[in-house]
Amino acid sequence: MAVSTIYSTQALNSTHFFTSSSSSKQVFFYRRQNNRRFNTIITCAAQQTVVIGLAADSGCGKSTFMRRLTSVFGGAAEPPKGGNPDSNTLISDMTTVICLDDYHSLDRTGRKEKGVTALDPRANDFDLMYEQVKALKSGIAVEKPIYNHVTGLLDAPELIQPPKILVIEGLHPMFDERVRDLLDFSIYLDISNEVKFAWKIQRDMAERGHSLESIKASIEARKPDFEAFIDPQKQYADAVIEVLPTQLIPDDNEGKVLRVRLIMKEGVKYFSPVYLFDEGSTISWIPCGRKLTCSYPGIKFNYAPDSYFDHEVSVVEMDGQFDRLDELIYVESHLSNLSTKFYGEVTQQMLKHADFPGSNNGTGLFQTIVGLKIRDLYEQLIANKATAPAEAAKA
Amino acid sequence: MSATASHGGVMMLPSPSRPLQHQRPPTVTGSDMFRVRRKEPRGLRLVVAATAKYKGTKMREEKLSEMIEEKVKEATEVCEADVRSEECKVAWDEVEEVSQARADLRIKLKFLNQDPLESFCQENPETDECRIYED
Repeated sequence: MAVSTIYSTQALNSTHFFTSSSSSKQVFFYRRQNNRRFNTIITCAAQQTVVIGLAADSGCGKSTFMRRLTSVFGGAAEPPKGGNPDSNTLISDMTTVICLDDYHSLDRTGRKEKGVTALDPRANDFDLMYEQVKALKSGIAVEKPIYNHVTGLLDAPELIQPPKILVIEGLHPMFDERVRDLLDFSIYLDISNEVKFAWKIQRDMAERGHSLESIKASIEARKPDFEAFIDPQKQYADAVIEVLPTQLIPDDNEGKVLRVRLIMKEGVKYFSPVYLFDEGSTISWIPCGRKLTCSYPGIKFNYAPDSYFDHEVSVVEMDGQFDRLDELIYVESHLSNLSTKFYGEVTQQMLKHADFPGSNNGTGLFQTIVGLKIRDLYEQLIANKATAPAEAAKA
Repeated sequence: MSATASHGGVMMLPSPSRPLQHQRPPTVTGSDMFRVRRKEPRGLRLVVAATAKYKGTKMREEKLSEMIEEKVKEATEVCEADVRSEECKVAWDEVEEVSQARADLRIKLKFLNQDPLESFCQENPETDECRIYED
């Protein structure tokens, strides 16, 4: 879809002539009058794709984060219709989510032969990843490979049309510097080891092949590669969502109540961090009290400026759980810079997916807020691109 | 600023173990098992039960569960020799990959009511994979 903006409505006559520059999709009108040249620029801007990177070690295309994000933009994200049923891609009206596992250069057998895990950069084709993300960002469709997680093979490619918002999700969105530079915004989902263990128990214990030992062994075996290749990416992220065990319940090792920290980089273009009460100050807030009754273990918020890998950041932290709708609304009404379009939008989004994991704690809350921030960033970027060519040069 | 919701009631938000009380209005209701095959108007979404609808998906679920069992056994054996070896790391990474694939399928069916074979089976209802699975 091309957007053409016209800055002059004067009719063409013999004093007008134009040249067009096909690479930049701009048409220049030159008009001579009294020996003075007036240039009017008409720009047909090809759709510019906004690219978001999400680093997560929880598989692709199904993560609740993705669902919440695409839902903020409206519409449900679904796998491409009529294609490979094992496709990892999700498409909605505005967004396309690509799983970076599709850029594995080695399939399961290949990795076994070479002795590398999927976490290892040697198992991934960063050149192809860069080329294709770059192409999609410039509005060019690509034939993207499909990595089939069931068979462990690389299947025939699928055609991906450039969307308005491209999300690349996986283990290495920020690993390669060239790909990193293409990202308009990046998020790292940092799950602590205790929480990871608890979640994997919930995920796998029902499977007859698994036991506590096997789950533990799997996490331990992947740790060295994870720490060497995946974890260092968090220093590049614009936002980090850190998930830790709660501090409200002593010795809680079930991982049900969570302490979640939203670490937001300062100075990122089009991104204004969320804050509590007074920007830049340090706040500790327990909303439960006279106006709001909460059930055990309650809710505790913290907000403070901090330093993260030598960057200035702001951190909003939530420990505890929401038990009722009015708790959620109350909390939302006290947070600032949420980029909501109306009062209660965060609550509404949370309720829309109330059956998703994390809907009653900071993971759902911060994922939703990041989704709104991305929408805000997208709208600012698009508005900025539309007004930029409005400078008509006068010679 | 009042903390109580304006409509006066309280709605339970689910904790991980409790499902949400209210239901979203379904777009199409009706038993899938006995549904007469007819052309659905575009845009209408079917509400599928939270288990595999097609035989192909059921087979895939079972295959993944088997693979988990196999690969856990394999990894345990390989790692007996040397827990730090590359073979051991790769073996457990495979277990992780297959466990995640299994969980993804479960979530797709349960939370999203999407059978991955849905659109394939719309086009090819006569294939073996697309037979309706009956428990």
